[in-house]
Amino acid sequence: MVANRPSAGQTGALPLIKIENLSFGYSGQSLLYGLEASVQRGEMVGLLGPNGSGKTTLLKLLSGVLRPQQGRILLDGRDLVAWGRRGVARRIAVVPQELQVPFAFTVEQMVALGRTPFIGPFGTRSNKDRQIVREAMQIAEVETLAGRVFNELSGGERQRVIVAMALAQQPRLLLLDEPTSHLDIKYQIEVLELVRRLNRETGVTVIAAMHDLNLAARYFPRLLLFQRGIVADGGPAEVLEPHLLRRVYGITVQVGVMHGAEHLSVVPPGDAAAVNEPEEQAPQVHIIAGGGSGALVMRALADARLAFSAGPLNIGDSDHTLALRLAGEVITEQPFAPVSEVTRQRLRACLQEISLLILCPMPIGPGNLALLEEALAYRLSGGPVLLLLPPVGASEPYSSEELQSHSLLRLLQAQERDYARGEGVRLLLKLSEAGAMPVGSLGEIVEYARRVVSKHETL
Amino acid sequence: MILIKRLQALPAWLTLTLLGLLLLLALLLGVSFGSTPIPLGTILQILLNGTGVFHFARQWDPSLEVIIWQYRLPGVVGTALVGAALAVAGALFQAILRNPLADPFLIGTSSGAALGAAIAFVLPFDTVYGAFFPLTSLFAFSGAIVTILFVYLLARSGGETPVVTLILAGVVVNAVLVAAQTVLLTLAPHSQFGGIAALFNWLSGGVSVVDWSPVLLVGACILPGIALASCLAGVLDAFGLGEESAAYLGLRVEFYKLVIIAIASFITAAAVSISGLIGFVGLMIPHVMRLLLGPRHRLLLPASAFGGAIFLVLADLLARVVLAPSVLPVGVFTALVGAPFFLFLLRRRKRAYQW
Repeated sequence: MVANRPSAGQTGALPLIKIENLSFGYSGQSLLYGLEASVQRGEMVGLLGPNGSGKTTLLKLLSGVLRPQQGRILLDGRDLVAWGRRGVARRIAVVPQELQVPFAFTVEQMVALGRTPFIGPFGTRSNKDRQIVREAMQIAEVETLAGRVFNELSGGERQRVIVAMALAQQPRLLLLDEPTSHLDIKYQIEVLELVRRLNRETGVTVIAAMHDLNLAARYFPRLLLFQRGIVADGGPAEVLEPHLLRRVYGITVQVGVMHGAEHLSVVPPGDAAAVNEPEEQAPQVHIIAGGGSGALVMRALADARLAFSAGPLNIGDSDHTLALRLAGEVITEQPFAPVSEVTRQRLRACLQEISLLILCPMPIGPGNLALLEEALAYRLSGGPVLLLLPPVGASEPYSSEELQSHSLLRLLQAQERDYARGEGVRLLLKLSEAGAMPVGSLGEIVEYARRVVSKHETL
Repeated sequence: MILIKRLQALPAWLTLTLLGLLLLLALLLGVSFGSTPIPLGTILQILLNGTGVFHFARQWDPSLEVIIWQYRLPGVVGTALVGAALAVAGALFQAILRNPLADPFLIGTSSGAALGAAIAFVLPFDTVYGAFFPLTSLFAFSGAIVTILFVYLLARSGGETPVVTLILAGVVVNAVLVAAQTVLLTLAPHSQFGGIAALFNWLSGGVSVVDWSPVLLVGACILPGIALASCLAGVLDAFGLGEESAAYLGLRVEFYKLVIIAIASFITAAAVSISGLIGFVGLMIPHVMRLLLGPRHRLLLPASAFGGAIFLVLADLLARVVLAPSVLPVGVFTALVGAPFFLFLLRRRKRAYQW
């Protein structure tokens, strides 16, 4: 990952953009939660993710038009809010998807508007401003269009003019919001070539929301994959991974380097029926976790190529992020929110489909007691439940003698993680009385899971 | 078409100088025509004498000096101010609302002013004849300002005032105020029917000042307003890209929106207070100027001011002359003369009009 970020390894290099614990949502619905990322000078970063995944919102936050509800964004080490609107506009330029201009502005007049943050409301343009506007038009190769009316240009020409306008701002950071989404393939390439040339020649940092995965793979050395938060951050090979894409976009794809090409290509399956068909068997194992308690089990099951579902998990929980990468299905809950009735219904429906439930040693509070109740109901209806014991530090934590000699509650560390005034302990006891099996080693769990799955397959 | 190309190629100062000269000519014509026609030469000599620099020998009836200085000139200058204010306010509203149909009256100034005027007409004070005109002005002005404030606050939510909400709130408030005005007039005692006839006259528009003091007062509101708006030309251009892009260019969008709406409403209210409701000027003149000179506001705003002034002075002249001695409402002529001219310009263009 570091290899894709040339300056990331340099010690003391101040990142151009640093996002710290950023959270934002619309009307109570969290869209971005606890986001952490930094971008070095000269990088070219593509933001990927399905519609509504928050990439456009992140661009608006980066441009300072929206303010974070929590956390902050540092530009050159200073909070974006402290730079002020004009201060930001002198350093960050935005190329929107499309610009509707009601007036018959000429190209030159449009590009000149890029100088607005340097002129101020009452000032006038100097010769230097005019010079910068001319240069911007030359770089974007629109100087021959200078006298034409912007609205009468083709889509590709218009987009180049908008890039020229952004260049007239002499930005250090160029933000592009799906800059090619309404262009023909020829113009898409043209605009992205222009952006890459700018990045290489002038060193301007580029962050672009992209919806075309192939173009993203071709032009952006670093990609951030969004699903209400960053799910993956790295080079195209790392991020454009079929399993990950299926989880995030909900579609099965093939990824590979086509014959004669240099870049990764993402190809949807040719057979239309295969689009919605899961690539693996339906998960037979469900994991209830939280607070990082499920990480090891999920990795172990994924390594053993056993499909599993997980949840409900809160957005922002490290288990949630991991589950998005590894699990076949994830039940998602809002950040910090207690398990809602709808989520509980989804869990119940999910439990009907599976043959094994693994309960991880997560902290228990009033918000997730419902999960234990559901697990108990599942056990009482005859489903096998494994209680994963929390690790105690040693590499081989539990021998069979220990399992017998210690009281179960101590092994489960039930009291320590019960924040629900004894309700958690009570439910765990009931589970164990109902026949839920405490298990200390991951190997045992994987073995058990494999048996359950193969039994299901032979049926 | 070629003419328009040439006009756009002229340097801005030359265009504005030409428009300024045209305005002077229109003012002279406006002073010249009336119940007693006065030759242009005489007017010029009288006016130049008034400056104290020139001393032409007096070869005219001394009463002409009184007619010109005390009666015709305030009327004509007032008309020019009103025309300038309405045209600039129209350009401002069109830019900030990004709507080619916007005019100074779109978001409530007209109905607010009309209701204010209606209240003034219905009040029993109009028996004191000398006091009734200023009362109408005052009420019309206040009505317009209060309405705009109300509409703005109505449309504001969560620190933002979306343009669409603003227009809708304006249209709704317009409807309510017009209804209120109808109720008021229906309930008014029949003995005041004369007052109501005067109100209808007021509503159809016409500058009826016979005194310098209202003109100076209104001028003191309108001219600084136009000057301030012209300084914000760059901001208005940026708003043409949309509010989001304007924000990307470092502008505090909500702040400037408020400032520009405030200026536009203020000069509209000031104009309406002496002219009543004169339609079409504020809608058409900015479009004509855009057709002739292009969309950039640095030139468009002063040009609209001159254009509006010239146009309204000429329309007022026609209103006074065509059916003399009776005076038609000037609004009739802004539409009758303005519309064909506007359509002519529109049709002359080969490509679709982009404003």
